[in-house]
Amino acid sequence: MVFHLVSPDRAIPSHSALPMVAASASEQARDQVLLRVDSITKQYADQAVLTDVSFDIQAGEILGIIGPNGAGKTTVLEAVAGILPIDEGDVRWRGKPLPPSRRHEAIFYLPDGVRPYQEQSVTRVLSFFAGVYRRSIDEIADAIESVGLTPVLHKRVHALSKGYSRRLMLTLGLLTPHPLLLMDEPFDGFDLRQTREIVNLLRAEAVKGRTFVLAIHQLADAERVCDRFILLADGRVRGIGTLGDLRARTGISSGSLEDVFLALT
Amino acid sequence: MRLPETFRVQNAPLRPLLVKELWDILGGRALWTMLLLMCPLIGYSFFQAVSLYGEASTAGLQLPVLAGSLSPLDGVLVPTLGAFYVAVTLLFPFVAIRVLGQEKESGALRLLVQLPYRSSTLIAAKLAAVLAAWVLSSIPSLSAIVIWGMQGGHLSAPETLNLLFGHLLYGLLVGAIALFAASVSESAATAAIVTLAFTIGSWVLDFTVAGQPALLAWIARLSLTQVLRTFEQGLLSAGLVVGIGAAMFGFAALAKVWLPPGVQLRDKVIRSIAWVLVVALALGLTTQIKLSFDVTEDRRNSFPAADQHLLASLAQPLVVTVNLAPEDPRYADLQRNVLAKLERALPKVSIRLVSGRQSLASNAGDDRYGEVEYTYGTRSDVSRSTSPREILPMLYGLAGVSPPAPAAGGDYPGYPLVAGRQVALLWFFVGLPLCIVLAWWWSRRLPEPIAARSRRRFTHEDD
Repeated sequence: MVFHLVSPDRAIPSHSALPMVAASASEQARDQVLLRVDSITKQYADQAVLTDVSFDIQAGEILGIIGPNGAGKTTVLEAVAGILPIDEGDVRWRGKPLPPSRRHEAIFYLPDGVRPYQEQSVTRVLSFFAGVYRRSIDEIADAIESVGLTPVLHKRVHALSKGYSRRLMLTLGLLTPHPLLLMDEPFDGFDLRQTREIVNLLRAEAVKGRTFVLAIHQLADAERVCDRFILLADGRVRGIGTLGDLRARTGISSGSLEDVFLALT
Repeated sequence: MRLPETFRVQNAPLRPLLVKELWDILGGRALWTMLLLMCPLIGYSFFQAVSLYGEASTAGLQLPVLAGSLSPLDGVLVPTLGAFYVAVTLLFPFVAIRVLGQEKESGALRLLVQLPYRSSTLIAAKLAAVLAAWVLSSIPSLSAIVIWGMQGGHLSAPETLNLLFGHLLYGLLVGAIALFAASVSESAATAAIVTLAFTIGSWVLDFTVAGQPALLAWIARLSLTQVLRTFEQGLLSAGLVVGIGAAMFGFAALAKVWLPPGVQLRDKVIRSIAWVLVVALALGLTTQIKLSFDVTEDRRNSFPAADQHLLASLAQPLVVTVNLAPEDPRYADLQRNVLAKLERALPKVSIRLVSGRQSLASNAGDDRYGEVEYTYGTRSDVSRSTSPREILPMLYGLAGVSPPAPAAGGDYPGYPLVAGRQVALLWFFVGLPLCIVLAWWWSRRLPEPIAARSRRRFTHEDD
């Protein structure tokens, strides 16, 4: 593949102050801030959908955006991905401003509820993405195998079940070379066993160096996979941190994510 | 651990994008349904055209003087491709809209805009898909031309290619409008309404304001159907070609502006206004391009060659003042027989329509109505004729030159032909639809390579 570095490490401001960082983020983690989202605000007519949302994403972590339906999770992801215009705010990649028109160079967003190219077969859709990113047959086969898409390769996309449709999207995401993947409701349509498979897959990818931001409304799933959480309600950030951080903040020493979420929102 | 960086894919391959667009066009039902509908539509038009041409040819074969008026361009090609024009106007927008509308409705556009391509590249790829769809949809028309040729019908290559080129430009223009409509609309249905507003709106312009004076006549010239008329008359006009290209570019540029979902509405509107102004300026400039070629075999858009040469040597400006209402049939005659040819032959011609703002009825009592004044240099003369046989000698008199000696021969012989029609019926109602259904079935086959290779790989691993 022919990739060129655009914003190398030297471009990272070494001691850039974070407008709003997870309360417990270590100094080491601060040095590895991959993406900083700073005070993004979005309104539809008179209704504020996002209000002053700020957070940072550490390299190699799995960050969960948690919240009920209508909390603004999808809006955050689309705003960060640059496919939804925002009213105010800034996104910085390793300290450098990353304008919306260039977000696709660093970030790939897998939206929820999309069945791309429904008249085409799964193989053809995968071929398209693999061709764009010059993936080899082996790389494609690895992605297919890791996601468990083999049984439906011959099917048309419109004939896929919800679970396989989700697997197809995940495979497309794995075929991209982007260091940061944003995924909207990645476990929707999976049963418990399948969810665990996908969790393991995401973990393995994170270990390889990929960073994930997952918007999840099932708190149990989120607790299972995410390193840190952003609790979102009514378009506002109500808490950021690991489960331990959030427990400490709420004073619920052994509570689940659900307990913490209810306490903070 | 790999340190994530920002990446830019340079030289992202175009082939996967083009292949995807092609399969997207072939994968839908819209193209194949349109092709099937075109078979009887174009087939019947061809059948009727050949029938009428055959009837006229019967007389032409008996009286050679009548044969000279039998041109396959007017008698067969234009009416047959007229049905193609109707199909492109009414059906092709649905195929072209699908190129973008399907991705918009399914949400796949949100994936597409994240791929390492510029918006302009994405729009260009989609225009290429529209071109491919047009090529496929022209198969029934092309097959009619082939059948005509196989039956012994005369085909003049410049005339035929020029006419096909005109239809290609018209199809691409409709496709560009459809792309623009799909990019600004949230649903394919809305995009279809927007596109049909352009195409069917052109018919309304033709029927209601064509032939009307002044501003209305100018508005009528914006009709898309005007695009084809010049080509159907056997003219290849550089100004028209560049103008259509500018319009296509404009619609494509607007589609590019509206494609990315992450841009504020206000910015899109500002950029759109800028592009509209640029294209309007470009269109204005194209009206100044007077270069055109008469590609007809009978040279219907030109005076005889000797006159053309002599007129081209008249250096002074010729001013023609026409005292006729635009809707007057005599004006149409004068325009077709004399004025249009003069504009092409003389280096400097200006035509003034004195009654441009008046109607035919309001000129009833004007004695000078119907007069056409020709002023060359300081000399002028008046005529009521619409025939070049009277006007050209008058012009030569004004210019003080002798009329050229009439050239012997070179008359258009005409090509009468009474052709069989049953072959065409069989082809358009049985053979071609069957071929289209087979091609549709072929396009629905599922690809094997990745599946087969990965399965083989997994099988080996299992072993």
